[in-house]
Amino acid sequence: MDINKVKGQWQNLSTVIEDIDYSVSGHDYNVCLDHEKVRDFAALMLEEGFYLVALMAVHVSPAIEVVYQFAHFETRCRVLARAFVDDNGEIPTISDIYQGANWHERETRDFHGIVFVDHPYLHPLILAEEDVDLKPLLKEEANLKDVAAVRRQPPEPAPEPKAKPEPKPEAKPEAVKSQEQS
Amino acid sequence: MSMDVEVLEDPKHHRYVLNMGPQHPSTHGVLRVLLELEGEYAMELLPVLGYGHRCHEKIAEHKPVKSFMPNTARMDYLGALIYNHGYAQLLERAAGIEVPERVEYIRVITSELNRIQSHLLWYGAYLLDLGAFTPIMYAFDDREHILDILEDVTGSRLTYCYFRVGGVSKDIDDKFVTSTRAFVKRLRSRFPMYEDLVNGNVILQNRLNDVGELTPHTCARYGVTGPLLRGTGVAYDMRRAEPYSIYSKFDFEIPTGTKGDCMASFMVRFHELEQSLRIIEQALDGLPEGPIMTPKVPKKLKIPAGDYNSSVEAPRGELSYYLVSDGSDVPYRLKVRTPSYSNLSVVPEMCQGMLLSDVVSAMGALDLVIPEIDR
Repeated sequence: MDINKVKGQWQNLSTVIEDIDYSVSGHDYNVCLDHEKVRDFAALMLEEGFYLVALMAVHVSPAIEVVYQFAHFETRCRVLARAFVDDNGEIPTISDIYQGANWHERETRDFHGIVFVDHPYLHPLILAEEDVDLKPLLKEEANLKDVAAVRRQPPEPAPEPKAKPEPKPEAKPEAVKSQEQS
Repeated sequence: MSMDVEVLEDPKHHRYVLNMGPQHPSTHGVLRVLLELEGEYAMELLPVLGYGHRCHEKIAEHKPVKSFMPNTARMDYLGALIYNHGYAQLLERAAGIEVPERVEYIRVITSELNRIQSHLLWYGAYLLDLGAFTPIMYAFDDREHILDILEDVTGSRLTYCYFRVGGVSKDIDDKFVTSTRAFVKRLRSRFPMYEDLVNGNVILQNRLNDVGELTPHTCARYGVTGPLLRGTGVAYDMRRAEPYSIYSKFDFEIPTGTKGDCMASFMVRFHELEQSLRIIEQALDGLPEGPIMTPKVPKKLKIPAGDYNSSVEAPRGELSYYLVSDGSDVPYRLKVRTPSYSNLSVVPEMCQGMLLSDVVSAMGALDLVIPEIDR
C-alpha cells in the first residue's frame, strides 16, 4: 500500500484530511467525510487492503457523528473517518462492502438510533427487541457538547483569525504542547 | 400422493430451525445461535447476542476515567490484565503520563502470563467440545500455577484490576520471580506431552483440517484479527504492528499458518504459548529496579479534549479503546472494540453449509468470550 497514493484518492472524497501524531492520539490520519461519500470511501479502503476496526457514533451538537476506524495488516496506518448523519438521522450502510460493519451498525442503531439506509437487517443486536427506542447513549440536553468542544484544541486561542488551510502544519506541535502542560 | 413428492423434492421442506444456546456448553457463555438445518447441514446461522449486556460503555460516561479500570477486567475475564493494559495505556497516552521502566516490565510479564492462562483454558475447553475429556485436566493443572502466581501479586484469580494509571498497584517480589521461572520451565517440559497426547491425534486432525477456512480478504471484510487471522498467513500482531509498552525490546516470533482453517489457528495458539514464555524469560532477565508508580498522577485526572485510541493484542485479537474527551475527567464517549465481536460476526459466512458437528469445531476455534462481545 502506498499511503501517498491513497491520500491522493481521499482528496476527492473528503473535506478535511489531517495527519495526526500517533504518539499523542493513537491514530495516524483523520478524515472528515460528507455522509454521501461514506460508501465510496469504504470501497476505496477495502480495495487498498484496510480492515474495519470498528464503527461507532458520538452524540454531539449539531448532529450525531459516525466514526469509522480503519487499520492495515501490513503497515501501521490507523485512519479515523468521520461523517455526520443527515437531517433525518440517516447515513448509508457500508455493510455490503465491509460485512463486519453489519453488527457494528446494528449496535449503533441500538445505542444512538441512527438509521443505516439499505442495511439488510437493522434489528436490535445488543439490546432487547422491546428496547428498540431506548437509545441509551444519546446525551441529555444539558450534557450535549458542541462538536468543537470534543476536538483537540490549541492551548491558547490564536490571536489572528487564520483561514482553514493553515492549521494543518501547526496542529501537531500544539497538540503535543497541550499534553505536556496538563 | 403428489403432496409427498413435493415435500421430498423441495429442499425447503426439509429445513428446520435448531436453537443452539443460550445455555449450550459449546457456546461458552450465554450466546444463542439459530441454525437453519437441512438434515445435518447448517444452511443459515443467526447469532443472537446481548444476553450478557452490562452497559459498560454507558457506565464509562458516568464516572471518572480512572474508576473504569475494574470494568475492563469484566469484559474479557480471561484476558483481564491485557484489558487493564490497554486502558491504562489509553489514559497515559491521552494525559501524557510517562511510566517507569520497571512498571512496563511487570506489565509485560503479567500480561503474558495472562495470555498463556487464556490459551490454556481455550486448549482444554476446545478439546472438551470436540469430545476429548483428558486434555482439560492437564491444561487446568498448568493453568492453576499461573492463577496462584497472579493471585499472590494482584490479589485476585480471574478479574484482575492490577494496573493503575502510571503504574501498578503492588510490586512483584523474589517469590514471584522464582515461581514464574519455575512455571516457565514446567510448561516447557509439558509441551512434548501435549504434542504426543493431542496435536498429532488423528481424530483431532480429521475434525479440524479443512474446517472453517478463512482467507485474509475475508478477515479484512469482517475485521477478524488474532490467531484466526494469523492462521491465514498474515503475521499481524499488535505487539509488532503497533509496538506498545516495551514489546519492541523483545525477541519473539509471530506464529502463522497457511490454510486458515481450524487446524491452522489451533497450531498458532499452541505455538504462541512458547512465544509468550520467551517474552517472559527475557523480561525477567532484564527486570530493572525502580519505582512502581509515577509520582505525579493527579487524583482527578483530566483528559485534554480530543479523541484517543489505544490498541493492544488481546488473546483473541485486537482490542481497541477509543475515547472522546471534552476536557473533563469523565469520558464523553468510550468505545471498546473487542476482538471476539468481529471474530464471531464471520460465523454466518464461515459456517454456511457445514455439518452441525463442524459448526462446533469452527466456533470453538474462535475462542469466544461472550462477555466481551456483549459488554
